[in-house]
Amino acid sequence: MAHPAAATTQYNYDIIKKFAVMALVWGLLGMSAGTYIAAELAFPFLNFDIAEITFGRLRPVHTTLVIFGFGGSALFATSYYVVQRTSQARLASDMMANLTFWGWQLSVLVGVIGYMNGISEGKEYAEFPWYVDLLITVTWVLYFLVFVLTLRRRSQPHIYVANWFYLAFILATAILHIFRNLSVPVGLFNTTSYSLYSGVQDAMVQWWYGHNAVGFFLTAAFLGMMYYFVPKQAGRPIYSYRLSIIHFWALAFMYMWVGGHHLHWTALPDWTSSLAAAFSILLLLPSWGGMINGIMTLSGAWEKLRTDPIMLFLITSLSFYGMSTFEGPMMSLKSVNALSHYTDWTIGHVHSGALGWVAMISFGSFYHLIPRLWETRLYSVRLVYVHFWLATIGIVLYIASMWVSGIGQGLMLRAFDDYGNLAYTFIESVVFMHWPLVVRMIGGMFFVSGVVVMAFNVLMTVRMAKIEQAALEAKIAAKLAKAGV
Amino acid sequence: MLEWLSKMEHTKPLALVIFVVVFVGILLYVFTGKKRSKRLESYKNIPFLDDESAGESGGEQKDKGSQDG
Amino acid sequence: MKLSHESIEINAGLMIVLTLIAISIGGLVEIVPLFYIKDTIEKVDGVRPYTPLEQRGRDIFIREGCYTCHSQMIRPFRDEDMRYGHYSLAAESKYDHPFQWGSKRTGPDLARVGRKYSNAWHTQHLNNPRDVVPESIMPNYPWLLRNELDYADVADRMRALKLTGVPYSESEEEYQANVEQFGKPIADQLDINTAEKNLLAQAQAEDWDGDRSRLTEMDALVAYLQVLGTMVDFSKYDEGYFAEFR
Repeated sequence: MAHPAAATTQYNYDIIKKFAVMALVWGLLGMSAGTYIAAELAFPFLNFDIAEITFGRLRPVHTTLVIFGFGGSALFATSYYVVQRTSQARLASDMMANLTFWGWQLSVLVGVIGYMNGISEGKEYAEFPWYVDLLITVTWVLYFLVFVLTLRRRSQPHIYVANWFYLAFILATAILHIFRNLSVPVGLFNTTSYSLYSGVQDAMVQWWYGHNAVGFFLTAAFLGMMYYFVPKQAGRPIYSYRLSIIHFWALAFMYMWVGGHHLHWTALPDWTSSLAAAFSILLLLPSWGGMINGIMTLSGAWEKLRTDPIMLFLITSLSFYGMSTFEGPMMSLKSVNALSHYTDWTIGHVHSGALGWVAMISFGSFYHLIPRLWETRLYSVRLVYVHFWLATIGIVLYIASMWVSGIGQGLMLRAFDDYGNLAYTFIESVVFMHWPLVVRMIGGMFFVSGVVVMAFNVLMTVRMAKIEQAALEAKIAAKLAKAGV
Repeated sequence: MLEWLSKMEHTKPLALVIFVVVFVGILLYVFTGKKRSKRLESYKNIPFLDDESAGESGGEQKDKGSQDG
Repeated sequence: MKLSHESIEINAGLMIVLTLIAISIGGLVEIVPLFYIKDTIEKVDGVRPYTPLEQRGRDIFIREGCYTCHSQMIRPFRDEDMRYGHYSLAAESKYDHPFQWGSKRTGPDLARVGRKYSNAWHTQHLNNPRDVVPESIMPNYPWLLRNELDYADVADRMRALKLTGVPYSESEEEYQANVEQFGKPIADQLDINTAEKNLLAQAQAEDWDGDRSRLTEMDALVAYLQVLGTMVDFSKYDEGYFAEFR
């Protein structure tokens, strides 16, 4: 008999299981909310005159659930797994780890219920009211402590590169969160608070925060995921460790400069957004360096893509990462941005990163992780293929429709007729966007159904594991009884 | 030289030079030297270390098994 | 200790410090100067803090998430100039905590929507946008007309904003400073001590939502929308004057 219990007792898997399950729950809710608000834009009657579910209130619900609920929980789960496995040490404190779980889930829950009831700070991706901001801060400090203390228990001298990325993510998120959310509450029992900054400074702080939420929360941390799960699933080490050193430092240094490209042509001084654009273009290099590092890990073992759907998820996610990190610098060029800004092109770009990169690499990592956590096999590999194709078709529909809608609207709004008058009114561009918005909604439905398939697969896997476990215990009990007699 | 440094408007080229030098320095450091390269590359096996220690015989086998589904 | 990348890899503390340095430089270089360089904000007359009623309207604007579909930042392009008006100045949002420039135009920009449409149009449009723009995809906001405006904490709100740097006045001294800067009629509006009285007076001064007998959330929101982009009188400045600050 093998030692199936070895890893489970050596490591704290319990906390990872909890975060993994919640990642799926929030993911399903958040992506469904996203699809619903996509439907509201295509068919406005779906707002039903109910304040709680109008687009303006549900949109932060969607972004919060997918970024912090799904993405955040996935990062907690995988970082706790990776730091334990690569340090060969148990998490520093089960109690503190549990507090991070409850603190995080409570923050997300209180946050989104608040948005639906009109409690929002009105800052994109930082809509949490001040008391949730405080709870997140405490949770984050605990997270940092658990992570670093676990690193300090590591049983071999080197800290593996995946952990550098997780560490940078934890540090950067702490700084971003604190400085973005400095605000003055109206009162101790009042849900409103006003940002400490105003106007142009508030705008710069916002997009310094907003873009680095993308850079460190949705990129660096998921690269940490990539640096562990891609090699593990491929069964071979990362392509180049030296490249990963360059990748890490270049990414950590350069990302913080680029937020200003969200404010091209605004009242922000030109030098700031130009500098941001310059760094955005430089950022292509480390981004692609990282992508190449991930994809080339499979060099010499490409046939895995034909036989292993999990590998398919991981490598496809890297391809989308490469695509969106090319599209991003392009959109940060002032001339392109003049057209793309304020349109659906931006929304499409974000989702090629969010669905293609963040979600896909999480799915792939989870399909690797879940069977190991519950010490069993996946219930169905075929369903993983089904999920993969549903997700991929969904993303393609989403991105393509947003290109049409965004570029189309951008061109219409800047078109002039022969007499130098505006060729179209604003509402004409809205009418034009109807069909792309419908296609986008359908793309979202594809993607959500993929997640439903995954949730079913995971559920059955866990159930199967429990049945196996029970059978094993019964067998041992029978053996013992026999030996006793 | 010192006078040139003391002018505010020279901070930008100066910063550029510093960053480029640091970047090129890291590049050279990381990618030169056979011994160093070999040593650095050896760390990429860290994720696979715990398969041997934790799995002894069975754990690793089990991992392999579930990969193929 | 030998200087090598391994020294960082085997030392979590060193790694934390170096990472912190690497991620801090960009933000410091781009953000800190904005708080010191005076050129960031143009010298321009007319921009003033919001009155109590307008501020409550702004709170509702944020509550409903209007910024998810409407920007308040006009860019210096010919089409935007023709469609919305003069491009937005930094000074125009200097009392906006938080800023509401937005990032997406599912609907048109609102930076200069003030006084372009009548109060009645706004009320009708917010209540059911398709009554006035048949192709609109904006949600209906019928509850704005139903809900009484809660203004009990308006003075507290102004106090909080005062702490962030908005020149609402509480002492006589602050009031006098406002009289000097904005003139007496506006300084009166910015006095926290008379906030409720000012709010009620402004709500009665115009027929915001078509029914003066009730003070609704619609009153406040329309009052806010009607002041957007109206504070600066652009006819007073030469063409090209504002380009100096960009």
